Amino acid sequence: MLVLTRKPGEGILIGDNIVVKIIEVKSGGIRIGIDAPQDTKIYRQEVYDRIRQENIEASAGWDMTDLDLFSDQLADRAPKK
Amino acid sequence: MTTIQTRFGEIKYDPSHILHFPEGLIGLQRLKNFLVMPNPKKGPLFWIQSVDDPSFAVVVTDPTHFFLDYRVIPDADERKVLGISDEDECFVLVIVSISAQKEITLNLQGPLLYSPATNQAMQVIVEDPRYSTRMPLPEIRP
Repeated sequence: MLVLTRKPGEGILIGDNIVVKIIEVKSGGIRIGIDAPQDTKIYRQEVYDRIRQENIEASAGWDMTDLDLFSDQLADRAPKK
Repeated sequence: MTTIQTRFGEIKYDPSHILHFPEGLIGLQRLKNFLVMPNPKKGPLFWIQSVDDPSFAVVVTDPTHFFLDYRVIPDADERKVLGISDEDECFVLVIVSISAQKEITLNLQGPLLYSPATNQAMQVIVEDPRYSTRMPLPEIRP
């Protein structure tokens, strides 16, 4: 991993069209500004990782018996008004 | 017709019926093609089966069946991925998980957007502190 030292107000460029800027450093956190093309997806890493993990676990958990059981149980359940 | 071996046994399908995720699922980019499996039981749950990885299948549901006010509106970039214009319909589905204790939860933080017009879908991240990847079903009060 490339490691750089930057001060507030300084930035880095990733490729030609992504700019990451250090906005502010305060106790325990760093505020970062990102300029990137509209279609570039930017996620907080822990949220992305959590959803990836949840996708994997969602596939592993179910079997056909469970689905039958819950289908019956939820079939009668009317939407909450 | 094409055939794959899955937990449901052997499935024959018509490739034109594939639900296509151009970007794959989040963190699982290789999973781009799914089959919607009919549920012989009534109720709001159904499977989508990956064609790219026959061992991968998830249960999905219409979240508004449980959370009436849950809405996810696709932005312009997401509409582009789905291949639809502002007027085209877009449905929201969420993935349902089951725990070892047999409790089910909905992933309201990573819903699926689906366009019936193009048969394309995508998973998005909702950055709303009210929603988690494991929302228990709301309790029904008698």
